[in-house]
Amino acid sequence: MPLLSVKNLHAYYRTEAYGISRTVRAVDDVSFELQKNEIYGIAGESSCGKTTLIKVISGSIKPPLRIEGGTMTYTFDGRDVDIASVAPEVMRREIRWKEISYVMQGSMSILNPVRRVRRIFRHVVDTHQGIDDKRKFEALCRDHLKKLGLPPDILQAYPHQLSGGMKQRIAIALATIFRPSLIIADEPTTALDVVVQRGVLQLLKDIQAESSNTVLLVTHDMAVHANVADRVAIMYAGTIVEEGPTEVIFGAPQHPYTQHLIASLPVIGDKGTRSALPGAPPNLASPPSGCRFHPRCPMAKEICRRVVPSMIQLDTLHRAACHLVGEREEA
Amino acid sequence: MRNFILRYLLPRLGQYLVVIFLGVTITYIIPRLSPSDPVERQVAEIMVSGAHFGPEAIAHMRDALTDMYGLRGSPIEQYLAFWARMFQGDLGPSLSRFPTPVISLIARALPWTLGLLITAVMISWVIGNILGAYASYYEKSGIMKVIDVASQAVRPIPYYIVAVIFLIVFAYFFPIFPAGGAYPVGRRIEMSIWAVQTILRHSALPALSLVTVGMGAWFIGMKSLTSNIISEDYVVYAEVTGLPQRKILYGYIMPNALLPQVTGLALNLGMIFSGALILEVVFVYPGMGMLTYQAVLANDYSLIMGIAIFSIVGVATAVLILDLIYPLFDPRVRHQ
Ligand SMILES: Nc1ncnc2c1ncn2[C@@H]1O[C@H](COP(=O)(O)OP(=O)(O)OP(=O)(O)O)[C@@H](O)[C@H]1O
Ligand code: SF4
Ligand SMILES: [Mg+2]
Repeated sequence: MPLLSVKNLHAYYRTEAYGISRTVRAVDDVSFELQKNEIYGIAGESSCGKTTLIKVISGSIKPPLRIEGGTMTYTFDGRDVDIASVAPEVMRREIRWKEISYVMQGSMSILNPVRRVRRIFRHVVDTHQGIDDKRKFEALCRDHLKKLGLPPDILQAYPHQLSGGMKQRIAIALATIFRPSLIIADEPTTALDVVVQRGVLQLLKDIQAESSNTVLLVTHDMAVHANVADRVAIMYAGTIVEEGPTEVIFGAPQHPYTQHLIASLPVIGDKGTRSALPGAPPNLASPPSGCRFHPRCPMAKEICRRVVPSMIQLDTLHRAACHLVGEREEA
Repeated sequence: MRNFILRYLLPRLGQYLVVIFLGVTITYIIPRLSPSDPVERQVAEIMVSGAHFGPEAIAHMRDALTDMYGLRGSPIEQYLAFWARMFQGDLGPSLSRFPTPVISLIARALPWTLGLLITAVMISWVIGNILGAYASYYEKSGIMKVIDVASQAVRPIPYYIVAVIFLIVFAYFFPIFPAGGAYPVGRRIEMSIWAVQTILRHSALPALSLVTVGMGAWFIGMKSLTSNIISEDYVVYAEVTGLPQRKILYGYIMPNALLPQVTGLALNLGMIFSGALILEVVFVYPGMGMLTYQAVLANDYSLIMGIAIFSIVGVATAVLILDLIYPLFDPRVRHQ
């Protein structure tokens, strides 16, 4: 039984300015499943729709973003929940932070600049658990921080007194305080230097190992996925183009876009220049016809321009959406 | 704490004194640049009034006036003497109500102005900011839309026009409030319920005008400040964590959006010492604005100077107090 099953999800930003309406198809026909007790990575270049996908599956949609189709079903303790139809109040009280928590992109600035860190802990705990006793609350926070290897004194600090890495860790500490079934982390290491990155990733890994929950890790940084994820999905222009176990994605990528991402990873000792992908990321308000990758694909054929490639199951856990892959399978 | 005093408080106090010193000095110099001699003018005025004086009496009068205006000795001596008198709270005699000291005219007017303006500014600040934050946060609320449109409509109208409208409506058509003044002429102010009622009734319309217009201004400012803060990551995060809206509004949005408004409030309060000139004239209200008006009409430059000095000290003090308390609202400027 998967923790989350997403089928044919479509989510668009529909905006209107000066009478011209625009539709950004940021998530277009996405299907995938999250299993219990795994770290699932989502990769893809900037503005391919990663954050949008997260907003939708975490139930944090606000206009102009709208769900245009598909289903998202969570299974919490054997109970099925269709996240799109949960009442906002139930969502707020019972699902947020207890079942699904979220380490937002840009966690550097999630802390209220004019209040001590303790205050946000206080608010989050109050909202979801309601601990009246000040000492119990203090003990809960201190225990939790200590377990994550963070100094409990940070509760006393103001955000501007903390380093970026520390703020990122606080965001993770806040997200894990109630041991949710799913922790979503959006680019948790992007603004950090390599050493701090390693610490933050280790923290996420430890938490996951300790409470056997699911972590959905979103980052454009393939090296992070290689180190942390159990399975990886590659997104391109609002769609998933390939998904597989981390070893397979890095060892035998099938989709030309994935192959490009892997080939452009730096390799120690290699002095050759990396081939950059020609062209710019597509505009999601008017994505290319057929395979969305075709204008930049070195292997594009005539059919790619016309027909959207369907997802091909290559192995129990490995799938890719590309005409070339389809032909090879048929042959 | 020692560091705070040495590195923050003392330099800041020094700056405060320098600002006042320069401001007062400029106010001292400017009237002295005028070619007309106040002593001669005063003498001429008295002569014109038809009274007859012998040359000796005139010389005597000249002498006395020169003393009173502090015009004896070299410019430097005059200037030093001026500061010496300042420190004793002596701003010299008023020219138009000679020989009443300027300081006692100000002392009579100041309480009226302070009472009216502090009340009005505080009320409009508090209500305007709360409504502004609500209007921006609960965009869809109908009442908020009405208030929004009303403030936009009131905003471009000068406050004295609003005052005249209130005056016509509530003092003439529906004579609920007195049309002017602050207290019946000739009666001494005593501590009684009647006195308090009378004062409140008289200041109701001026206060209402100030509050209406002031509230609209704070409202519009706060609304746009809030709409910026709403898209900040920490507010979005508070929403994502599922905090109740009220907590987000009062715990996250307001404390941040209010920071510039606190500065605005301090400057507004500093400006109070010069009064609300046109408003006080419209309502015949005996405050600093009225005093300024009379001083200007009567060419009473020693009185004008006294009022200007009060304004300078008022604004400088407000800014000083703001600097000292601002770190309480914004920990980022707290001294390490
Ligand atoms: N509020 C919005 N209104 C309209 N379009 C939006 C909005 N937010 C995002 N988009 C568009 O949706 C597309 C996907 O954005 P998204 O933030 O999901 O990308 P991302 O993969 O998370 O990128 P990044 O790696 O830079 O975070 C982009 O083209 C973006 O311009
Ligand atoms: S479908 Fe065609 S254009 Fe798309 S990735 Fe495959 S080969 Fe390239
Ligand atoms: Mg993103």
